[in-house]
Parts: sequence; structure tokens; C-alpha cells
Amino acid sequence: MSAAPGPAGPRFWITAAAGWAVIGWAVYGIVSNSLDTRPANLAKFVVGGALLHDLLVAPLAIVFGVLVARAVPGPARAPVQAALAVSAIVAVFAWPLVRAYGLAANNPTSLPHNYGRNLLVLLGVVWAVAAGAVILRLKRAG
Amino acid sequence: MSVRLPEPLQRLTTDPDAPLRQGAYRSALRDERVAAILGAALGILFSICFVTGLYSHIQQNPVSWLPIRPRPAGLYRFTQGLHVAAGIASVPVLIAKLWVVWPRFVSFPVARRLSGLVERLGLFPLVAGGIFMTFSGVANIAQWYPWRFSFTASHYWMAWVTMGSIVAHGGAKWAIARRTLARPSRRPALADADPELGTSAEDEAGAGLTRRGLLTTVAAASGVLTLTTIGQTVRPLRRLGLLAPRDPATGPQGRPVNRGAVNAGVVDLAQSPFYRLEVSGRVARPLSLDLKDLRAMPAHDTVLPIACVEGWSFSAPWSGVRIRDLLEMAGAERDRTILIESLEPRGAYRTSTLNPDQAADRDTLLALDLDGETLALDHGYPCRLIAPNRPGVLQTKWVNRVVVL
Repeated sequence: MSAAPGPAGPRFWITAAAGWAVIGWAVYGIVSNSLDTRPANLAKFVVGGALLHDLLVAPLAIVFGVLVARAVPGPARAPVQAALAVSAIVAVFAWPLVRAYGLAANNPTSLPHNYGRNLLVLLGVVWAVAAGAVILRLKRAG
Repeated sequence: MSVRLPEPLQRLTTDPDAPLRQGAYRSALRDERVAAILGAALGILFSICFVTGLYSHIQQNPVSWLPIRPRPAGLYRFTQGLHVAAGIASVPVLIAKLWVVWPRFVSFPVARRLSGLVERLGLFPLVAGGIFMTFSGVANIAQWYPWRFSFTASHYWMAWVTMGSIVAHGGAKWAIARRTLARPSRRPALADADPELGTSAEDEAGAGLTRRGLLTTVAAASGVLTLTTIGQTVRPLRRLGLLAPRDPATGPQGRPVNRGAVNAGVVDLAQSPFYRLEVSGRVARPLSLDLKDLRAMPAHDTVLPIACVEGWSFSAPWSGVRIRDLLEMAGAERDRTILIESLEPRGAYRTSTLNPDQAADRDTLLALDLDGETLALDHGYPCRLIAPNRPGVLQTKWVNRVVVL
């Protein structure tokens, strides 16, 4: 996050050339295997995923973070921020399992757990740890 | 390149903490040291995924210049378990890294130099690739396919896009990352790098997450995801597998499967009294064997893993007929590639091949028994291929043809 960078050296240009050559080759691979890769559909997910994150998820997370930082009092702030971050990540990861999007018919080994309950158990553990940290901080402060 | 934004927007886009300025708390988390640490961690995790992914790719798309060896028998189980685990562990790191550097994506001017423009352009395949690889991988292990493209082909080609971007980005950030990682952490690092970006408030009581706190949080999230999924392949941690898409002890004969007999469309064919195993192709004596014939052949016992590409695995005792015994009986030449065909009427994995080394291995079997019992229909009755160091999708089930190519 530096200010104006100096002129780029040979390392920059060599890795840039190598990296972009690989990217170009991979794009060629995607286009020439279009029966499998379905470039239009793939582009929707690749570009859509990045735009969804950069323009929607990230700003929302930042706004939410500001609200949390203002609403939560001092000693509880850091543990609550950490617990919220872990909870959000675990919940997003678990969501396809909880909703059983990929549940296969005629296969009892597909998604064998009660993922909704398991997610709640995990979130309970995360927030119990956060509560413990808050109590510890209050004791230390007071 | 002098697109100037109105003043308030400019502050928002160059100052990650602008919305917080009015408050008592200013985030010092978006600093280059945190970005470098997360970037390095991500680089390592993605590289592990890339190398293990390439190994899985050449397992499924063999190349003549690097034939897959049948030993060590558990190698693929290890590499693919690592692939999925490293991918899962990278999810929180990627999210944190994107959060830390996000203001740069929307900052103006876009670039001041040509190198800056090249670097900036490279962020798109980097970010889009990273998000796509983790999203598609996580969806795939949950067997959720909200898209129409082939997962394996697209995940493979996008891995090259992502790795190419990482090479370019690594080169662009090498100097600054080395500098910031080499020196001990100081406060306020952020103000140091760019006075406009604000100062650290880490030492203020109750200021919220510190940089160390953020990194600990990321490590904790990676730890939670790893511990609650790794039990699908590391048996002693099975009970912790709260978010594991498979349980290595749930299924027919206490073992999971990816595709059962009903979905493969083989229920009647596999149980038909007219079932025959045929050994054909370049052989001196083509064979047509029924189950009794197979049972009459010398049985061989072995313990081998089924290691799914999706990262779950189990090891089990198998018993059956050696492929090399069958080939010898049919008078096949050595050093031939062997095609194994299934009763399955269709599907990408209805056949698989064995290279000469794999076919000659003492533990490459057409298994008839699992755990001392006749194979369950879902596990490939009447017989299935089981061979060392091989992805589960290539351990062909319901085998009815062995063709010497």
C-alpha cells in the first residue's frame, strides 16, 4: 500500500511476461476445449464471482464492519469482530451442505451428517470462545 | 491516466478507513505487512493445490512422458487429501486478503505508469481466478453443480489462469513483500507507508482487532474448516468431521461410495445370471469367465485405499483375482496398456486404463470381496478394479471387460 511506486525492474517484466503467457495459454485451452469448459457459462461464474465480491460482498462487509465497530463497546469489540468473521466464513462454507444442494438420490452415503445442527454447534463453540475472551478482557481491565 | 474523482469519492477510494475516521477507532489492519503475510500464505496454499492438482490431472489424463507409478500405494490418497485440505484452508485466507486489499481495487487513478497498469490488469485474473478456484472446489466436494461446464476441465484450466496471475503478482510484489516481511512489525506501519491512509490505533484499549488479532482470526477460521472436514480422510479425526461431505464409515458395508448401482443403471446387469467377465483384445486365448470361474482362480488379499478426487478416502481389505494372472491366462503380451470396462451404459468413468506397470502390480485386482464379504452392489458387484495409487473414479466398478490394447 505504498505511494507512487518507482520504475519496475526486470523481475517485474519477466514475471509479468511469464504470467501473462500462462494466462493466455490457459484462455486458449478454455476456448479450444469449449465442449467441456462451456466458455460463456464459465465466464459468467469467473467474472460474476469477482464482480459479486468486489462490488457487493466486500462493500457490504465493510459497512457491516463499521457498524459493528461502532456498536460494540471496547473490551468486547475485538472478540466480537473475530467471532463474526469466523462465523461468516464457516456459515458460507457450510451453506451448500446445510441446504443439501448436492444431495444425491439413491446414495445414503451422500451428505451423511445433520449439517444444520453441526453448523449451530460450531457457531456455539465459536461464540463461547468469544464470550470467554470478553470476560478475560473485562477482568484484566477491571 | 488522470481520472480524478470528486473529493469525497476520492477519499473513499484511496482511504480504506474513511468511513471510520469519524469514529474513535481506525483500522490499521489494511497494511502492507498483513497483506504480505496473507499473500505469502495464500501463495503457499495455492501452490500446494496446483501441484497436487496437476498430479490428479495426469492420473486422469495420462501422459506418455510421465507414466503414473503404482507405488507408493497411498500416494494419491495423500496428495488428493492434501489438495482438498489446502483448498479448504485457503478459503479464510483468501477472504481476509481480499478484505485487506479491497480498497486498491476501487482506487483511482488506475495507474500512473505502464507497469502499474499491467499490474492492475493482472489483479482481475488473480482475484477472479482465486475466487473461482475456491468456490468451484468447495461446491464440488459438496457435489453441488450450479453450472453447466465440466468441473474437472474448467477447474484445471482456471488453475493455470490463477497460477499465471500469481507468478505475475508475485514478481510485482516481491520487493515490497520481502522488505515488509523481513523487518519486525512496527507501529504505525500504515501511516509510514502512506500518511494519507491514517494511523494505527492498535495500542488504544478496546480498539478492536489488532493486526495480530486478524491473522489469528484467519488461522482460527482455517483451523475450524480443516478440523471439521479432514476427518473424511484422516480416520482418527472422523468424529470431528462436522462439515465433512462424507463419513469414511457410513455406507454399504460401512464404506461410502460416490455413485451407487441405481444411479449407474447397472442393478439388473450386475445381478444377471448371464454375467461374464471377458478378457479380449491382443490376447492368444480370449476368456469368458462367470463368477464361479473367477472364484476358482487363486485369490489374492490386499489392503488398499479408495481415494476419491473429492478428498475423502478409506482403506480396506480387498480380495480377488490379480489382473496379471488373468492376462497370463489369456496369453497377453507384457507391456500392454489395459482397458477396463464397466457394465455402466454411459458416463465419463465407465472405463479406465492401466499402464503396463499398474497392470503388472501384485496388488492390482479385480476384487470380489470387501472386508471378507462379497462386494455390495454399490461397491461394484460382481467385481471391481482396485489398484494401488489411483483416484477412486478410476477404480472402475461392475467390471465386465478387460481389453488388452
